[in-house]
Amino acid sequence: MHVHELNPKKTMVTMIIFVIVIIIGLVTLSKPRLNYAITPEETVMLAGSEEGFFYPYELEDILDKTIDTIVLVDIRNTFQFGRGHIPGAENISAVELISKENIKRLEALKDAGQVVLIYGNNLVEANGPYMLLRQIGFDNVKVLMGGYSYYNVWKDKLGDSYSDDSYFIGNAQYDYAEVAKGSSVSNNDNGAPEPKANVAVERKKKNKAVEGGC
Amino acid sequence: MNKNYIILMGILILLAAGLLVLPLKNNSKQLDPEVLMWDIVQPTRYVSTDEVAKMIIEHDPLLVMVDVRSAEDFQLFSLTNAINFPLDSLALDDAKSALTFNKRNMVFYSNDDLKSDQAWVIAKRLGLKNIYVLKGGLNRWIQTIIQPEAPAETASEAEFNLYAFRQGASQYFTGGSISIDQSPQAEIVVSRKKKAKAAEGGC
Repeated sequence: MHVHELNPKKTMVTMIIFVIVIIIGLVTLSKPRLNYAITPEETVMLAGSEEGFFYPYELEDILDKTIDTIVLVDIRNTFQFGRGHIPGAENISAVELISKENIKRLEALKDAGQVVLIYGNNLVEANGPYMLLRQIGFDNVKVLMGGYSYYNVWKDKLGDSYSDDSYFIGNAQYDYAEVAKGSSVSNNDNGAPEPKANVAVERKKKNKAVEGGC
Repeated sequence: MNKNYIILMGILILLAAGLLVLPLKNNSKQLDPEVLMWDIVQPTRYVSTDEVAKMIIEHDPLLVMVDVRSAEDFQLFSLTNAINFPLDSLALDDAKSALTFNKRNMVFYSNDDLKSDQAWVIAKRLGLKNIYVLKGGLNRWIQTIIQPEAPAETASEAEFNLYAFRQGASQYFTGGSISIDQSPQAEIVVSRKKKAKAAEGGC
């Protein structure tokens, strides 16, 4: 005869505690809320492509409402947003963008075929959030080249920025090896950099949204 | 046998079976996307060209400069003691082990800070620690360290001190000679860490 048979209450209590512990374990089992949809290798390829880059002159079509499939998101802080932003943009910080509600919304936008265009002060500021959103599967996210600072300079003549190159970054501005030899360094040098001549940039063809038609 | 024991056993077997259907924890070594986003929005990963210049001049033993440009660009020019790890190589299987330096600080750099930032995001996802990005990259390196611009006459003393440091650094990195005359902050002190003898003294 087992001792517990004399005390069924005790057995009951042990059993309940046991089950509770197991349930707590299962509930707290850490499961990341977000998962990577693409591998690191694919991310490297993403970094090498300009597919997700949005050109400043393309903004024209958004601003004059020729295109209504793009949602503008300003990821800067509220203060900067308050001082000026691209018309029609929403202010959602990068961290807020991956909150539960916003993930749902992003999914809805993705299903609806809408593009989410994010921008910061410059391209690099929005590049990290852009890469992350792409990595968790939002391939409808694009990033504005030049960011707000470029837009702010060109906002009255966005179309003309088509022939401007200054928002292309990532290129060498100097012939480093030559400059670093130091032959030209002197104290009287006013430090004016000699820009490398004509960095060739490839650019998407400008396509008019309302081309053709009758 | 007590009925309770049978129930208890049943539960145990059920739970054990439940373990089988638990999802495989894949990507377990990669950083949680949520954590990665938090890291991305922190500006702490950026180090300035001045900080890096100082560390190189002082032979900081913990510094590893990582050039993420192509091998050809690296051949033509690189920073002192930098290693070349093109952005594409991050796709390799052994990228993580190749870039694991025990507790040393890796500073990624490229022409500016776009490629290095992209490399940083991927490296961070792979779980690498102690990685940083050279703010402004080589373009700013040239502008601030190799060809520093003299501050305006009305600039603060701090700016003049910074300029003096940059001139010294420029001389250090180019090996050229700079004639410094009128400037009141002419003396350039490039402080170098004393090499500590390991087994000094003793008996």
